[in-house]
Amino acid sequence: MNAEKTMRDWYVPLEISVLNTWLRIAIVVNIFLLTFDVLRDSGIVLSLSGILALTILTLSLPEASKPWKRDASLAMAGIVSLIGTVSILSQPIGFIIWMELWLIIPGLISIYWISSPSVSDWNNNQLSIERVEFGLARNKRFQGSYQRFGKHIILLHFAFIVLLPVIWILDISISPGNALGGPIGDSFSTEHFTKVLGGDQFPVWMKNSLIVSVGTTIAGLGLAIPAAYGFSRFKFSGRNPAMFAFLLVQMFPGIIILVPYFMVMKSLGLLDSHLGLILAYSVTALPLCVWMLKGFFDTVPIELEEAALLDGCSRFEIFVEIILPLSLPAVAVTALFSFLAAWNEFLLALTFNSSNDMYTLPVGLASMISSTSQSWGDFAAASILVSIPVVLLFILFQRFLIEGLSAGGVKG
Amino acid sequence: MVTVSYENVDKIFDDGTKAVSNLNLEIADGEFLVLLGPSGCGKSTTLRMLAGLEDISLGEIKIDGVRVNDLPPGARGLGMVFQSYALYPHMNIAENLSFGLKRLKGENKISNEDIKIRVEEMADMLGLTSELLKQPKELSGGQRQRVALGRALIKRPKVLLMDEPLSNLDAELRHQMRGEIRRLHEELGCTTIYVTHDQIEAMTLADRIAILDRGELQQHCEPMEAYHNPANEFVKGFLVRHLNEIKETADNLFKS
Repeated sequence: MNAEKTMRDWYVPLEISVLNTWLRIAIVVNIFLLTFDVLRDSGIVLSLSGILALTILTLSLPEASKPWKRDASLAMAGIVSLIGTVSILSQPIGFIIWMELWLIIPGLISIYWISSPSVSDWNNNQLSIERVEFGLARNKRFQGSYQRFGKHIILLHFAFIVLLPVIWILDISISPGNALGGPIGDSFSTEHFTKVLGGDQFPVWMKNSLIVSVGTTIAGLGLAIPAAYGFSRFKFSGRNPAMFAFLLVQMFPGIIILVPYFMVMKSLGLLDSHLGLILAYSVTALPLCVWMLKGFFDTVPIELEEAALLDGCSRFEIFVEIILPLSLPAVAVTALFSFLAAWNEFLLALTFNSSNDMYTLPVGLASMISSTSQSWGDFAAASILVSIPVVLLFILFQRFLIEGLSAGGVKG
Repeated sequence: MVTVSYENVDKIFDDGTKAVSNLNLEIADGEFLVLLGPSGCGKSTTLRMLAGLEDISLGEIKIDGVRVNDLPPGARGLGMVFQSYALYPHMNIAENLSFGLKRLKGENKISNEDIKIRVEEMADMLGLTSELLKQPKELSGGQRQRVALGRALIKRPKVLLMDEPLSNLDAELRHQMRGEIRRLHEELGCTTIYVTHDQIEAMTLADRIAILDRGELQQHCEPMEAYHNPANEFVKGFLVRHLNEIKETADNLFKS
């Protein structure tokens, strides 16, 4: 029967299709890990042979009516797990174990699944049509959950890569002494936090940073919102060149503007002051803010303004009553960006404000690590404290962030 | 008595295109005038010049004999309904309706209690009483259009302007709203100018129609007059032939 033949031709057990995808991913991961071996200079023979065995295993995965492939792939899967185990035994440390699990686990799962009865029977062409039908239904049912599981494995890896430095800093900040290495979570002490919080410098830096960042946000928005509205709504000569010029300024590395800025600040007498930094930061953040806000204002339909005009609003009233409330998400995102830019900026702050009581947090942090003293523990504790306000801001603004960044979509 | 008159009005855009040329048009008190024409014929521009959303390049527009060329839009005493409704998305329906009332100036200024009464009256007239506290996005297309209509009418405008207000609605709703607009007009007797490219809308709604093509007035008369005595080839093609085709299609449909 034809339909029966089609079903047989199309049926591949879920185990095999999952292996087909995941063995490939495992190969990619292992090639990536190979670079670590090269960097660590720890010999690449084992890893190379692992990759080779994985590749052969992928190529030799069972197919319907090719019984010999099953034995070949089982043998290769065994070799893959063996190579992983040998590597772990030769260097039993955390990182290597994780690396080699990318060989051992695929190998073991391959052995388990390839030797399962449903795959063997399919491989030997011994499936009745009922079992094919059952298999197809099973594929459909479980495909989703296998995919979800796989996605989470990948995401966990990325999350780990992103979190690793944070975990490390956190560990240094709660470990006694000023050592950088050592196993994570081996000892606990609050000495660094007490020292940083108890010292008389950190609060001063925090105050400076807050003044500068909040000032930058207010000044930056005060400049960017009207500018963006103008660029979005009015036609005037030089409009497009001006928008482009904004981008042009962004194309140069920041250090180029350092010297001219310094001269300007010096002649204005704004060195060693909050105002100087606020001015410099709001101007540097301006291009991005204007572009972002203009993009949002462009999506607010002009008819709304016309309706408000007919309702008797002046231009300014329209701006305050219609445009601003509608642009709140975009304004919030822009505010967050200018705040962060000012909060994290180092170079200008270092150059302009040379006296200790005018340091902002990044400069203050850097001053903890000098050529004469390296208080890494205090440094790490202070870093954690510095990032707490930012984390809080992000949590507060999360809703706006999503709305603001996806702005421009269809408004219902 | 509210009359509107266009006297030798020209509109030339910045890029040099002439949207309206030498337009002379009189709209009588309480009249329902439909500006009809294909897209790009200058009918919307004609309306927007009266509303004050476009400058008048040459000529004069008068409302009640008063030259309004240089009056700001809000001072002309108009209500306008937009094709896209243009409801304020961040305000609920009651706030949308009262937004214009709160901005009336001078002797027209009205108290908050009166605003409330006016909003309730208007909601009642349009069947929106139960929707007053909802946001625009919670309403259906037809309801939104009704709110837009209410927002224009609540100021008791001298002239009501409508720019293709039914184009975004589906056929059934359009039919229904058409009836409602005509009913409201007869109830309130407000001088109305209505822009559309839809011949059926024009024929069913208008006291008089003004047919425009490429910025020039082709014919200005009662709808049936234009149908029976088209002034020129354009009116014949755009109005008469189109209506005959619709009639023919319908006849054929029911014959078979």
